Amino acid sequence: MKNVNSNMVPLDGLGIIPERDAGTPPILDIRHLCVDFGGLRAVDDFTLLIGKTEIAGLIGPNGAGKTTVFNLLTNVYKPTEGHILLNGQDTRGKSMHQLNQLGIARTFQNIRLFSGMTVEDNVKVGMSHGYSDSVLSAMLRLPSWWRTERRQHIRALELLDLFNLADKANTLAGNLPYGDQRRLEIVRALASEPKLLLLDEPAAGMNPSETQGLMENIRMLRDEFNIAIMLIEHDMSLVMGICEGIAVLNYGKIIAKGTPKEIQSNPVVIEAYLGEEAVK
Amino acid sequence: MKHYRQIPFFLRYIINAAVLVGFLLLGNGILSSGVMNRAQSSVVLQIGIYVLLAVSLNVATGYLGQLPLGHAGFMAIGAYTAALIWKALPGKSPAVIVLGLIAGGLLSAVFGILIGVPALRLKGDYLAIVTLGFGEIIRVLIINLPGITGGTPGLMSIPKHSSFLVVYITVIVSCVLIHTLMKSRHGRAILAIRENEIAAEASGVNTTFYKVLAFTVSAFFAGVAGGLYAGYTGILTPGNFTFMTSINILVMVVLGGLGSMAGSIIAASILTALPLALQSFNKYRMVIYALLLIVVMIFKPSGLLGRYDFSLSRILEKIINGQLFKKSQKAGEEHA
Repeated sequence: MKNVNSNMVPLDGLGIIPERDAGTPPILDIRHLCVDFGGLRAVDDFTLLIGKTEIAGLIGPNGAGKTTVFNLLTNVYKPTEGHILLNGQDTRGKSMHQLNQLGIARTFQNIRLFSGMTVEDNVKVGMSHGYSDSVLSAMLRLPSWWRTERRQHIRALELLDLFNLADKANTLAGNLPYGDQRRLEIVRALASEPKLLLLDEPAAGMNPSETQGLMENIRMLRDEFNIAIMLIEHDMSLVMGICEGIAVLNYGKIIAKGTPKEIQSNPVVIEAYLGEEAVK
Repeated sequence: MKHYRQIPFFLRYIINAAVLVGFLLLGNGILSSGVMNRAQSSVVLQIGIYVLLAVSLNVATGYLGQLPLGHAGFMAIGAYTAALIWKALPGKSPAVIVLGLIAGGLLSAVFGILIGVPALRLKGDYLAIVTLGFGEIIRVLIINLPGITGGTPGLMSIPKHSSFLVVYITVIVSCVLIHTLMKSRHGRAILAIRENEIAAEASGVNTTFYKVLAFTVSAFFAGVAGGLYAGYTGILTPGNFTFMTSINILVMVVLGGLGSMAGSIIAASILTALPLALQSFNKYRMVIYALLLIVVMIFKPSGLLGRYDFSLSRILEKIINGQLFKKSQKAGEEHA
């Protein structure tokens, strides 16, 4: 757990990142992001920095626009204003799979596995770049096909092993228990070797002990792969337990940014969650 | 747990090849011995052609999960291309035959790309309508280009190249190529699009490319099957390639099970042979055909085999491990 509890330091007056990442440019640099759905401004002036190995949290009441932010980051929606720099590169106009190649991978709030395919094949689909065997060499089973298949098989089992799913490699993904499905989605996202992993409510529907296990998994991922992780979560024990920087969203606007400690004692946050009376 | 013994890859290939050659010799022996009358042996050829049509449509329908209704159009392109090449190049050499089939497939694949790029932006019913329109356009074009295609009366005296040997080898080679494609990272990308397009795209799969690829492969082999058809009938008329032909092929795929190659093969064989077998009660033929479809769709809506794919090696492995009658842990898996 070499990275835990690094101090948060300000960067360019725009946000805070972990001290250990201060020497490197932030992995994600979001400036003044806005999106309108018809007359509704779903996300308003969203500015956030995420350090290279930071675990960042995005929280807020239901309907605050958290998933919309994820969808903007992965270009499911086009921002009305503002821009996103991923590792210094503007993501505007890139398709979803190009963004994946640039180093962004995500999971979904409502699980989206390839349920009719095996667990192993789900992970292999995630390994979508870095292989060069052509369609023709696959049809004719040329040596490059054999190499790719062997590499993907070994890598898939390694990744599954991290989450103790290797012995279920041949099960259909749709037949996995719920918690395993959530974790398989993370493995699939990891397979594309992302620099930034977006987890949309990874602990949803998990019991406390599963959540505890997931927390350790997430920390392990960051330490093992040296990546940044941004997560949306309602489970406060998870968010406060592992996130270094937290942004709180309400009605599409960031109402607070800071460390878990600062967020917990921020009256504006408490008001957004519990109502005005709670603050008094 | 005891180690599950597996058959090495090269041995699997040898076993599969031996079985396929065995079938070839058996089929050839039966046909040349004269046990079957002419009508029956021609049904054998028809089965081969429809098997390839169903298997090729299964790529776009079963594996990719789209619903194109213009398969007869691709078949027509392949058929006319092969026929014109064969008419221009005399002789029965294998090179000429292969050239005709491949040229038919390639031209059909080119149309697959041309149609696929715009049409695959659409989904479901809309794609069905566009491809249906494409199939009809091809048919109308054939009618209105009498200088090349012979127009409505059709193209006559095409060399009859589709012997049992040619049909059998072409169908087997095509099925093997489609199978090996599906067992690669490209095939998995195609299946992933069927399973969940957004997740596939977010996982880095270039969905546009793989949709067009699957559509093009489907068109290519439909074109090859068209070539076989031309060499089997000897006469091509636009009436052979109507909307009903597309529907017939689709029925075979759905009946066999979307996404199951073995299912497509079995259903295409049954539905091609059935009308002949039922000739003695001709009046009720279509009734029985329709009843069969209704019964299957009620009791097995996923088709005869669902997504199951037959694998000889897997069955052999179960036998050597003494687990043939145990319920497979890998049920539903698509290894073959």
